Amino acid sequence: MTPPDTLFATLRPWLSALAKRRARLWLGALLMALTLLSALGLLAVSGWFITATGITGLLLAAGVAASLEVYVPGGAIRFFAVSRTVTRYVERVYNHDTVLRLLADLRTQLFGVLAGLDSRTLAKRRASDWLNRLTADIDTLDSLYLRLLAPPAVALVAILLLSGGVAIFVPQAGALLAAVLLLGWLWLTLGQARLGMAASERHVHQLEALRSRTIEQLQGLAELEAYGSLADHRARLDEIEIRLQHDQRTLGRLSALGNALQGWLVSAATLMTLWFAAQAWQAGAISGPVMVMLPMAVLAMNEALGALPASFTWLGATKGAAARLNQLNDQQMPVNAEATQPVSSAQTLTLENVSVHYPGSLQPALESLSLTLNPGERLAVTGASGAGKSTLAALVSRQLYPTAGHITLGGVPLEQWPNDTLRQRVAVLTQQTELLDDSLAANLRLAAPDADDTALWQVLNNVDLGEWANTLPQGLNTRVGEGGRQLSGGQARRVALARLFLRNPDLVLLDEPFAGVDELTAQHLSNFLDAWLAGRSVIYLVHGLNVNAPMPPRITHTLALTG
Amino acid sequence: MVAPSAKSDISGNSAKQLLNQLARAEQRRFRLAVVSGLFAGALTWLQMGLFAWCVTALLVNSQPLSQLTPLFVLWFLILPLRGLLTYVQETLSQRASLAIRKRLRQRLLHHMIALGPVRLSGYHSASLSYQLVEQVEALDGYFARFRVQLWLAALLPLGVFVITLRQDWLAALFLALAAPMIPLFMALVGMGAERLNRDQFAAVARLSGHFIDRVRSLTTLQLFGQTAQARASVWAASEGYRTRSMRTLRLAFLSSAVLEFFAAVAIAVVAIYIGFGLLGYIDYGPSDELTLFSGLFILLLAPEFFQPLRSLAQHYHDRAAALGAADSLVNLLAESPPTTRTDHAPAVAPQAPSTLVALQNANVAHPARGVVLGPVTLSLSRGETVILTGASGSGKSTLLQLLAGFVDPGKGKRLIAEDFRFAWMDQRPLLIQGTLTENLRLAAPNASDEALHQALAQAELRDLVSSLPHGIETSISERGVGLSGGQAQRLALARVFLSQAPLVLLDEPTASLDEHTERAVMQGLETLKREGRTLVIATHHPALKALADRHWHIENGELYSAQGQEVRDDPA
Repeated sequence: MTPPDTLFATLRPWLSALAKRRARLWLGALLMALTLLSALGLLAVSGWFITATGITGLLLAAGVAASLEVYVPGGAIRFFAVSRTVTRYVERVYNHDTVLRLLADLRTQLFGVLAGLDSRTLAKRRASDWLNRLTADIDTLDSLYLRLLAPPAVALVAILLLSGGVAIFVPQAGALLAAVLLLGWLWLTLGQARLGMAASERHVHQLEALRSRTIEQLQGLAELEAYGSLADHRARLDEIEIRLQHDQRTLGRLSALGNALQGWLVSAATLMTLWFAAQAWQAGAISGPVMVMLPMAVLAMNEALGALPASFTWLGATKGAAARLNQLNDQQMPVNAEATQPVSSAQTLTLENVSVHYPGSLQPALESLSLTLNPGERLAVTGASGAGKSTLAALVSRQLYPTAGHITLGGVPLEQWPNDTLRQRVAVLTQQTELLDDSLAANLRLAAPDADDTALWQVLNNVDLGEWANTLPQGLNTRVGEGGRQLSGGQARRVALARLFLRNPDLVLLDEPFAGVDELTAQHLSNFLDAWLAGRSVIYLVHGLNVNAPMPPRITHTLALTG
Repeated sequence: MVAPSAKSDISGNSAKQLLNQLARAEQRRFRLAVVSGLFAGALTWLQMGLFAWCVTALLVNSQPLSQLTPLFVLWFLILPLRGLLTYVQETLSQRASLAIRKRLRQRLLHHMIALGPVRLSGYHSASLSYQLVEQVEALDGYFARFRVQLWLAALLPLGVFVITLRQDWLAALFLALAAPMIPLFMALVGMGAERLNRDQFAAVARLSGHFIDRVRSLTTLQLFGQTAQARASVWAASEGYRTRSMRTLRLAFLSSAVLEFFAAVAIAVVAIYIGFGLLGYIDYGPSDELTLFSGLFILLLAPEFFQPLRSLAQHYHDRAAALGAADSLVNLLAESPPTTRTDHAPAVAPQAPSTLVALQNANVAHPARGVVLGPVTLSLSRGETVILTGASGSGKSTLLQLLAGFVDPGKGKRLIAEDFRFAWMDQRPLLIQGTLTENLRLAAPNASDEALHQALAQAELRDLVSSLPHGIETSISERGVGLSGGQAQRLALARVFLSQAPLVLLDEPTASLDEHTERAVMQGLETLKREGRTLVIATHHPALKALADRHWHIENGELYSAQGQEVRDDPA
């Protein structure tokens, strides 16, 4: 199923997100229009004023009694000069504020979408370049308003106002002006967008291809050099760069063409207006100063149209960003109707012929797995990496749905468990330790937001980290760094375990619980863990049952997964 | 991302030097672009002149419009010419920018390859590719816009001033009075832009960091049912960022507003002066010589005096972005590659014809850690299988890298046979985006399909391949389709079979493999040995020792034979 990829359909979710700030957007556009009108007014009134003074001066010199009221136009010139600057300043500040508000809106919205992804999609997306692109895509969309919505709208209004204004004096010129400028506007927006669409939509992908080929070249340098195939691979890289630069050249040319056309359009419209105004003047329909004022006002349209070609030539980049983000919406985990029956205990678990087969993947991640876990049992699931242990953990914690088969928890089909209850009853220690770039306390409180400091110290003592934390100058408020980097691997693992102890689950899944922890500590942890696990059902996920490595306590039976 | 380097003057200068050096190669295009821009500017002035001329002819000289038709036609014909010139200006500087970026990217890639796999391992490959792709792209605005605009901003206002001076010196004086303000404002704008850039960059990075951090931990947040709270925290962080950056932005916009204000005031003053001059209200200066033509002309030209500067101010952030990028590229380019890799040391035939590669007093030192290996003297004969053991970090990999020529032998020597070629396999085999065939042909571009299939069979990959929808032409490492770690390792082994290189260097070939793959790799190594290849295997794995003819052991950077004697050229 391919989603409709028309421009409007792609952008619609984002446009409706922007629409929540409708009032601000209108006000911002109004400020833009005022800035433009000030520029237009300044040029038009100055032209009128100078012509009027010139003619009056000539009359005076010829001895004709003539007079000109100079204070109103003089004042108008000063007014427009100041208002142009002030409105421009206010507009920039106001609209940037709007953009930042949109950024907050969109990021929050996107986060909500990401939170609904299944564990498989999230695991695939862990790579930082994907995350960087995601944030870049959001940035592209939050400036949608400032680049692609407000400027063409304001330009359109300006065209109509200007043509209307000119038509009051010279109807013919006004009508023609409207026709010429509207056609031009269409070209500078839709025309440019159409021509640049394919290339600008491709651009991000080409950069990405270049990046991944570069990473290949650098990471595989040893092998490539050994086999003498550096040059071959380099040719692949060059090929991408050639395509990238070809598109960049196309887009550059297009946008230069648009800019040149825009300049031509305004100049030609000015010339045309002067011609018709001169005819009208000769016919006695308008005065000399008005004849000058009209084309000068047209000249100010440069300001309204100037930024359009470049923005619209690159419209495809915005569309691409929106399309990529829309895809995330399609990958949402299905949200099932909440269970109505009260669920008491999650201590029994059954899997019946459960298979997981990712679309497009070479082999099934899990095939026809059946198991039963009774209350208080501790099952050790073994297997090499890729055998499906993490898939099993994701299935049981409902971060992934099976392709086939049934899972029941506490006798109730897993999909019928209300989400909150499920999270309380099933606890998982993931293979990868995930710590937030926040304080020790904040990381622990993820498990129990209302836990007091005493409880936190308690669990830290349980994992042998109490003494260490006591020596830290900031104690529980010590920040753990990005991904917990300020801690050693073993410390991070123990914080993750401590976090688990703050909860009171019926079923616990522990994926390599002692990974990165030294043997002595592991032994000590094992004792406490054993006590804590009493009365709960447990699944251990381990690489292999090796006598040398510290084993989790009291395994009742085992199950080997073969990949 | 960008390393937060202390911005010393030296690095700032060399970033500028790099930009200038890059620009020099495209001098011609830049010059032509500036000339086109100047002519386009001149044509604008000419249009303004024609405008004033026509108005004067009509209003003052009372010429009928029909007489002016040729003038209008001429004017109409000039218009496309101006468009053409701006087009030429833009495309020329864009092409210069494309050429510069291409050249720089080639240079960086060449440099990275010269640094070699060992030196590169000190960098994060994601950040290297960021430098090669994003940071090179970040130079675009500077070369495609800013550089030419800088010249135009200096020359075009000068032209307007000269023309105005010829019409009315007092009006020119008004513009000139605003002119000294301009460098001041440019500095203001520049400082504003630079500070803005710096602050914004840091703030944006922090905000993105917060967001990315939460996304990375989403699995945990889901498991603890904390996604709603995290979502609220993302919103709060974005709001905090907005409040802080609005404070900066208000100030930054103010500096460019001041520039605009003075430009607007200067234009207004000129307009009012001309108006009053034409009315005869002004008794001093050249104002009585003002005509409707000169008055209108000056008025129309006045905005053109400031326009190039306004454009420059708009492109100022391009400069800041380019300097930031150039700064980090300069640091990378400053690192000098190992000499063996740049000099292409001539293949010196070792003493004995049976010797494939020999090391004489070779040692490897790291700037931070001192000597990590050596001095080592050894020679490796054709057909030998050597097992290399030692604690992790003892220098096993370094010895393999030394044999491969990825690092300098220090004060010692590395001698290789004339037909010296080697195959390499480590724990992270290279998988390129493409089909299995393409991945295999990395080792032997001209290998026949039959040879590919045989290599796959030897690496025990045949069953997997026959189960794939497109067999050997299946694309791997695309999204959603991938090989497991063990399968990738066997693919690398298939490449070793395919390569026919006499020497095979293997760095922990069986680490973190499941039993099945481990067995396949070991059988593969046996086959290689039977084929008569020379194998050096760095490993912890006891089972591999059975293969070995010789056993090297490294301890504290020194090489011993299994019996504990230092390894000599000629083993007992």
